[in-house]
Amino acid sequence: MGPRPRAATTPSQPKSNRRLTIWYGVLIIILAIFIARLFYLQVIRHDYYRAQALADQLKEYKIEAERGVIKAKSGSGQVPLVLNEKLYTLYADPVFIKNAHDSADKVATVMGAKTDDYEKLMKSRGTRYAVLARRVSEDQKKRITSLKLPGVGTQAQNYRTYPQGSLAAQVLGFVNDDGQGSYGVEQALDETLKGVPGKLKAITDAEGVPLAASRDNIQVDPRPGKDIVLTLDLGMQKQLEAILKQGLDSSKSASGGALIMEANTGAVRAMANFPTYDPASYFKNADAQVFNNALVSSPLEVGSIMKVLTIPAALDQGVVKLDTTYSDPNHWNLDGHEITNIEEIGGPGTHSVTDILNRSINTGAVWLLMQMGGKTGQVTDSARERWHDYMVNRYRLGQPTGIEQGYEAEGFIPDPKEGYALQLTYANTSFGQAMTATPLQMAAALAAILNGGTYYRPTLVDNTIDASGKVAAQKPEALRSGVVSPQVGQELKSMMEYAVAHHSFKKPFPANFSVGGKTGTAQIANPAGGYYEDRFNGTYVGFVGGDKVQYVIAVRVNEPKLGKYAGSGAAQPIFGDLAHMLTNDFNVIPKSQ
Amino acid sequence: MTYSSSIANRRSGYARRGQNAVSFLEASRPLGPVSNTIILIVLACLIGLLYLTQVTKTNSYGYTINSLQQQQIELKDQKANLEVTSARLQSLERVSSSDVAKGMVSVAPAGSISQ
Repeated sequence: MGPRPRAATTPSQPKSNRRLTIWYGVLIIILAIFIARLFYLQVIRHDYYRAQALADQLKEYKIEAERGVIKAKSGSGQVPLVLNEKLYTLYADPVFIKNAHDSADKVATVMGAKTDDYEKLMKSRGTRYAVLARRVSEDQKKRITSLKLPGVGTQAQNYRTYPQGSLAAQVLGFVNDDGQGSYGVEQALDETLKGVPGKLKAITDAEGVPLAASRDNIQVDPRPGKDIVLTLDLGMQKQLEAILKQGLDSSKSASGGALIMEANTGAVRAMANFPTYDPASYFKNADAQVFNNALVSSPLEVGSIMKVLTIPAALDQGVVKLDTTYSDPNHWNLDGHEITNIEEIGGPGTHSVTDILNRSINTGAVWLLMQMGGKTGQVTDSARERWHDYMVNRYRLGQPTGIEQGYEAEGFIPDPKEGYALQLTYANTSFGQAMTATPLQMAAALAAILNGGTYYRPTLVDNTIDASGKVAAQKPEALRSGVVSPQVGQELKSMMEYAVAHHSFKKPFPANFSVGGKTGTAQIANPAGGYYEDRFNGTYVGFVGGDKVQYVIAVRVNEPKLGKYAGSGAAQPIFGDLAHMLTNDFNVIPKSQ
Repeated sequence: MTYSSSIANRRSGYARRGQNAVSFLEASRPLGPVSNTIILIVLACLIGLLYLTQVTKTNSYGYTINSLQQQQIELKDQKANLEVTSARLQSLERVSSSDVAKGMVSVAPAGSISQ
């Protein structure tokens, strides 16, 4: 038996190994190709493909900040005047509407409107978004959604809502469709109210739901706007509006306004104009003038109420005293023009400073101005400059007061050195013509005189409240002290009390309160030059208090249709009613004796 | 059975004559490259699966968060609507035109007017 041959497979082993090696080689080459390709796609082209992927997956949303609400004071509490409400826009996509009549009928049933109107909109061509209704309530939206009408949908939108209706509308302003505050507080404090929007940047699924596991997600929470508590007193505002409306109706005036300000802080407690509007449907008003708070934005030649500023200026300079008397010629000739008085003054005579205020003697106001320059018969450069200093630097006329209202006007004070017929012009300013001011400016200046000489910036904001509930109280801001001496303030107070005591009011004022005032009847300037002979505005400024003046009141009545003077006939009764309202209902501190 | 006999029996099970027992008892053979590769791939897959599980789980929290946020928004809306309704119901206009207010009579303020 020969040697057993070794395994028959031996010769094929190298061949098999070679084949295996080849397969391994092929596999490695394929893997190398894959790796190279993946390296190219994932490393070299990383940025490109990452950007492409994120463009599809990464969504960025702006998260709107909730706008702050606006409140008014009501006794010791607060009452909302402006709130936010989520309402819905009801729309139809005509492409998906199956049965327009049936769908319109169902929608009309919920909305309480005509089927035909909706059917027409649902059949409209050339649009994929036909608005059926705006400001749809949550309840109506739910009822319509439950109908599951194909092609009918809703879209949420935040709106401002006004629980007190049109109360203080011009003070509040409104928010337009672009989310911008317009007019009033909404415009002036837009930045404070609107807050800062947030941002959400996240990888989302197909339905736009953010996926939590992504290092690319960015979420910045919105910072809600601050709530604002106004200085307005709800009850006082409501009554002022009622009294103003009644007064304007009585005097057959189409428009006017009134305000009540705290003399010792500058806080405006009530402020209103007529005609007014409903801020919830501001878009229905064609005339934008109605949005303006005319007490702030519409200056006028104020008329004889200016004398409450002229007399203290003369007293404060020491050029006259309260008991000074003078011989009034009943007319002055300045720059070729004559300045005279109303007939009731009764010609030339000897008058006191108190008479100038009580009887509203224009030539007396001019005489006071002349004394500022030390030369009777002429309004000298010195007189003009001194009076200008009082008007602009002390009474702060001719510049915005800084109250939190949109479109505040500056008014106009003529330059004392340059211009035409400066003597005449400045003589006119002493009794409120040839210059303009807003009722608010007049009230603030009068308050500064009566409170002892401190000019407080008029304000409508009592405090602000941030999202965490932190309250930031706004303190009274004194813009100037020593406007006039406290003694001059007391003298003016007594003169204005005297004027009220010697003018007729419907009801007498309680003796334990101090009430003073001054009428104004101003001719209206004709744009063609000069003044209208038969068109007047009525104004009134006054105060209510006890030992100290507590409230200053300013009233404006535009072109009343009365046979009497506009100031005494139209504005004075409104002041009277407001003064009674304050003493009756608003805790005015009476005189100590 | 004694301890020595038991040792002998165990040896007899695999010991062969002429074989080097020390060599036979070599502890273990090293894994080949293929096995190593497969094991590594399996491990990598396991790690990948673990990662995917965690990511999926985390993403599911995204839906939970989203749902909770929706609830929060709805509740806030309800609160805002209730505030609006409450404010409207308490508005001066509504109160002054209520039956109770209509039944009231005006009185002169007491103790403020001196005759």
